[in-house]
Amino acid sequence: MRRPKKYEAGEATQYISRRAALRKLQLSLNDFRRLCILKGVYPREPKHRRRAQKGSSEIKILYHTKDIRFLLHEPIVWTLRDYKIFAKKSGRDRAIKDFRNLKRRLALFPEIKLDHIVKERYPTFIDALKDLDDCLTLLFLFSTFPSLHLIPREQSNLCRRLTIEFLHYVIASKSLRKVFISIKGYYFQAEIKGQKVTWIVPHYYPFKPQSRQEVDFKVMSIFVEFYTIMLGFTNFRLYHGLNLAYPPQFPSTMLQDNADTLKDETSFVSERICALNFDLLRTDKVQEDEEEPDIDMELLEQDGDSKRIIKMKQEAQEVARLRTLFKGLKFFINREVPREPLVIIIRSFGGKVSWDSSVFSGSTYDESDESITHQIVDRPSLSTQYISRDYIQPQWVFDCVNQRQLLPTNKYFLGEQLPPHLSPFVDAKRDTYIPPEEKALHDPSLIETHAQSEDESDEEETVANEEDDTVEQELLDAQLQRAYQQETAEYKKYGGPDGVNEDEEDSDGEDFNDEDQESSDEEEELDEQTKRLQEERKKMSVQSGKVHKVNKRQLHKAEVDEHRLQARMVKPRHRNLFRKLIREKQTKEKEEWLLRKKRRNIDSDTKEAKKLAKREARKAAAAAAAAASQLGGK
Amino acid sequence: MAAQDPVTKRKRISKKNKSAWRKTDIQDVEQFLEDQRQEERIGTFTDKQNEDLFVVDASPLKTAPSQLTIKQKRKLNALKPMRTHQALENTSKVQDPIAKRNHVRQKKNGRNIELEVCSPTKARHRQANKDRGLYYEKLDKKLAERHSGKKAPTIDKDIWEEVDFRDKIPGLKDEKGWISRDLAVHVAGNIGRKVVKTHASLRHKTTKAKKFEAPHPGMSYNPSLEAHQSLIEQVVDREESIIKKEQHLKRVTTTMFSKVTPEERDRRRLKEMSEGIKEEGEPESEEEADLKPTDNNYSTVNAPVENKKKSKQARNKELKQKELQRLHEAKKALKKQTADLIRIKSIRAEVKEEAEELNELKKRRKAAAERKKFETKRLGRHKFEEPDLDVNMPEDLAGNLRNVKTESNLLTDRFKLLQKRNMLPTTVAVTRKRSKVKRFPRSTHKEAGVSFQDLRDRRKAAAAAAKANNDTIKI
Repeated sequence: MRRPKKYEAGEATQYISRRAALRKLQLSLNDFRRLCILKGVYPREPKHRRRAQKGSSEIKILYHTKDIRFLLHEPIVWTLRDYKIFAKKSGRDRAIKDFRNLKRRLALFPEIKLDHIVKERYPTFIDALKDLDDCLTLLFLFSTFPSLHLIPREQSNLCRRLTIEFLHYVIASKSLRKVFISIKGYYFQAEIKGQKVTWIVPHYYPFKPQSRQEVDFKVMSIFVEFYTIMLGFTNFRLYHGLNLAYPPQFPSTMLQDNADTLKDETSFVSERICALNFDLLRTDKVQEDEEEPDIDMELLEQDGDSKRIIKMKQEAQEVARLRTLFKGLKFFINREVPREPLVIIIRSFGGKVSWDSSVFSGSTYDESDESITHQIVDRPSLSTQYISRDYIQPQWVFDCVNQRQLLPTNKYFLGEQLPPHLSPFVDAKRDTYIPPEEKALHDPSLIETHAQSEDESDEEETVANEEDDTVEQELLDAQLQRAYQQETAEYKKYGGPDGVNEDEEDSDGEDFNDEDQESSDEEEELDEQTKRLQEERKKMSVQSGKVHKVNKRQLHKAEVDEHRLQARMVKPRHRNLFRKLIREKQTKEKEEWLLRKKRRNIDSDTKEAKKLAKREARKAAAAAAAAASQLGGK
Repeated sequence: MAAQDPVTKRKRISKKNKSAWRKTDIQDVEQFLEDQRQEERIGTFTDKQNEDLFVVDASPLKTAPSQLTIKQKRKLNALKPMRTHQALENTSKVQDPIAKRNHVRQKKNGRNIELEVCSPTKARHRQANKDRGLYYEKLDKKLAERHSGKKAPTIDKDIWEEVDFRDKIPGLKDEKGWISRDLAVHVAGNIGRKVVKTHASLRHKTTKAKKFEAPHPGMSYNPSLEAHQSLIEQVVDREESIIKKEQHLKRVTTTMFSKVTPEERDRRRLKEMSEGIKEEGEPESEEEADLKPTDNNYSTVNAPVENKKKSKQARNKELKQKELQRLHEAKKALKKQTADLIRIKSIRAEVKEEAEELNELKKRRKAAAERKKFETKRLGRHKFEEPDLDVNMPEDLAGNLRNVKTESNLLTDRFKLLQKRNMLPTTVAVTRKRSKVKRFPRSTHKEAGVSFQDLRDRRKAAAAAAKANNDTIKI
């Protein structure tokens, strides 16, 4: 038998150094870099570097041999080789001043086709969507670039076109979910086909020079070259999914590079924003206002009301509300406010938006329009104000989207100190312990009551407890009310519940309405709607409701039984996983409980201390008063 | 002649002999005589009439020599027959004696393209013409595209549509189930429409880290106090660790060595370099004198090796000792075994402890491996370093969108992210060093001019000298 030689098998043959790969592919280093980026072949780190590098221990850039062999069969390798030939021939033509030939050659410059590579790298459309984050951020960035040394103008123009197309899709499909203003730029998160796509738009559109020391522009340009093609095909599919015509036809004045736009940065920016503020052409000519929710809730109903399904239902309901958040609202953006993010947000939630027509092009209505509901202003004061509209700061729009409801505008008025802008990427409803301060930040109704209760508790200690109780009661009521509203909305949406509880729910609803009616009577502010309601109620027959008693023991027993059943249903191979999950859940709950307990203790301690201090103060005051009176008496 | 050329002095030669007479220059005399004779023959200028001397030029003025550019001249030259062919031209005035000569028509090498284009006779010519036509069509189209300025890629299909490659190739459409997929793949490859199969390792993820990392809530333009504080805390932690590392490095390198003045350094160096060299006038030590080889005899420092033989008796003794030793050890081991029986509990504990230790090690290794899956891999010479966190200092927080102070460079951020996700090897930008040019004034240059370069060089030299004088040198 032949004695096996060293480095003829195993890790040494699995890896190939970059130099060897260059030799194998017969490409220059630049071409190889380009090919690798386009094909998505990246260097690897071996497990044992010495073995992979055939005994050498210096750190080389290694690739998988299989990857390189895969690259060998790529048709664009031939195009890259053609480039070399092209450069030689055109160089010769230039040297001998044969310009006729040179012109002919330049016209037939071998162009790389990347369609098949996109398909190869992303076999399914969902794969492409999953990888859209980087693509979008880079393209949004490059769309702001002027023509630079290694970045041709066509590339930045193409980036601009594609990003605008994508934004139009987001607006048309109403898929925006989260927005965030950070010091880096504007974060946007959209949900497209169930995939969360996040991108960052830089703050200022005027181009800021980049240092070449830090970033390899050429490499980034190659990434962008690939991503433009990818986004193009993604847009095509997305548009066709919505029955929109692709490529979208913009009015001829928009997005045309003339001398004016190239000279003036602001007009260049305003062009692209203007392109965002108009409706796209549909192929089916039917304006679909309401789209059906993606998940069929009826099917989920069968599985019973587990926690997850309830959560999903809530989520679906919230999203449905979010999609029409700004419907019927009319915004006007003052000229000092950055318009692009606001236009995207307002339009994608059904609002209408316009701006000063004398400064920027593309506005749809004037500032003097009386039907405007909100004017977005970012300056301390304004000379002429209309009484019919709210003057708000831009953060209101962002916060509304993140909270998924229209917030009261009073905290965002002109010149007001703004509440903090919270990140929507930190889940407010996460399962772990959330300190009450954070909770309050997410729920504006909560924070007000909190402040009230604290004030009152300061006033009178004995009353404080009762006050707290009442406040708590109010809170509970408020929560119940909210829950009830949500439920009714849900029922409207997804049909009635199972039927058993229907009567009770109805009667509850009546009770609630009664209360509502009383309060409104007291206030004596009857509008037409309540009148109509009254009339309707007169016609209805009301049965006395029964109080639904909850048997806690039974509930607990049912829960335990369910858990046991679940444990029994788990397949033997998943048993460990199941146990692990249960354990994790228990520890989490315990931690949360511990933290809450800790907090409670701290709170009670501080309260006690406060009480003591107050008592001391009062005693001291009384003593002082007594002393004073004594003094006075004397 | 003398009048014409007064500068040249007449050469004086001796005219002693008759033969020397011939050397006399009589040309001027003869010239004069010749002129006189001519005047006698044809008369002088003064006698002549103007009409006899001058003629009225009736022919039209010649055009000035044309001012042709080099290019035009070259073009004209190109029309002329080539110089190399001139030698082949028949310049003889003699006529060919054979009036009717049979020309041997030489067979042309290769194809006559012109003929093929103008009058195609074969199918291949027609194909070539068609191809050429297509080429020019494409060229025209591309030129038109270039002129119109449209250069965007055309996107007019859904690449993710489920399409069977067999449907596109005529003849492979398999309605009756006769053509297997393998066969179809084979045929497609052979007719130039290869079906590419990607291997799974290509899509293998090299890191388990998330693609999108949510920004820290403290990075909001108007953050809540807690979030901002926690972010600043992170930044401070990181900065502190960097400072600590730097200080450590300084401690173990710079401050570890004592410092001396340059004079002291030079003195020490001189001493070290001149170690072993005797100073003048120093008497030779006695030892050295002893060591000096006096004779020619070979001698070494080491003692000579002797081949000592052991006696038989000694060997026997050694063997016996060895045997005794062995027996002793066996006895000892047996004794230990019996003793261990009593100690069995503690042994068990020891074994358990060892196993636990090993287990712990295993766990730690496993955890490290798991952690490594999320970290950035080492792809090239340089290690990836996390970029700094972006944070607005409290005084920079404006609280409104108008006065936001942006902190990050998105392009750098993306570039680093690509490096972090193992898509690019970490590189360090290299600035090309300018080659050092030695400058000196030209030898022909009288006054040494003062140039900016000279001034800079002088300044640098002065600075270097000052530095060398002032600084202490580390040893």
